[in-house]
Amino acid sequence: MFERFTREARQVVVEAQEEARSRKADEIRTEHLLAALYTVRDDVALAVLEQLGVDETDVLRDIDRLHSGEPAALDAEALSTIGIDLDEVRRQVEEAFGPGALDRTRAALGGPAGRLLGHIPFEGPAKKALELSLREARHLGHDHIGAGHILLGLIHTEGGAAHHVLAARGVGLERTRAAVEQLARREAG
Amino acid sequence: MSDATKVAAAASSRDPAVGLAAVASLRGLLESLEELQVSNARAQGWSWQQIADVLRVSRQAVHKKYRRYGF
Repeated sequence: MFERFTREARQVVVEAQEEARSRKADEIRTEHLLAALYTVRDDVALAVLEQLGVDETDVLRDIDRLHSGEPAALDAEALSTIGIDLDEVRRQVEEAFGPGALDRTRAALGGPAGRLLGHIPFEGPAKKALELSLREARHLGHDHIGAGHILLGLIHTEGGAAHHVLAARGVGLERTRAAVEQLARREAG
Repeated sequence: MSDATKVAAAASSRDPAVGLAAVASLRGLLESLEELQVSNARAQGWSWQQIADVLRVSRQAVHKKYRRYGF
């Protein structure tokens, strides 16, 4: 499905994987695609967001706050409230399996195996957002899928976190479509 | 852990923030211990079925979860 993606749009997809990895996520979600838009610095997507009054820092902060599904770090204080002495558990485990055994597990390092082996799958809504970016491009009569269309796909995908992060800042589909169309026309003309 | 924290923890046992954090951390600890034990069992030649029986889960569940680690 990526044949018609522009260089920038492909880069967004690649960077989204990096965003997911650095956030210790086990799948690439819509918020990772949104964060990736800011790393690729495509003219259309970022110009549109700026035009709509969306602040980069605010968006990235919101994305950083979305930490669902991430394994909790071992918290000695929290465990002590239910009578578990983490230091003692660690000591016993290390006695059997060697120094650092408990903290070296993949679970403790914060993520499923896939992340460490390099392959992170796209979650359902992220896939849908990319599919919808195709549809958005077609809807506007554009031949290629750029970062601006990915932005539209993200807004269109109501099941994704990116939709909600942007909706909270008043970014809706219609206005964004109009802005993307206008910018594309300006670039073409 | 400081005395102040201990007192706060003791005084707020019905505080969801404390209780839920404990559960989350316990889950993390469980995952680490399970991974260590499954890895060790595989290294000692246990089959997925044997591991699953002792963990009281299905063979498919344990295999699906850990095969990617290359145990």
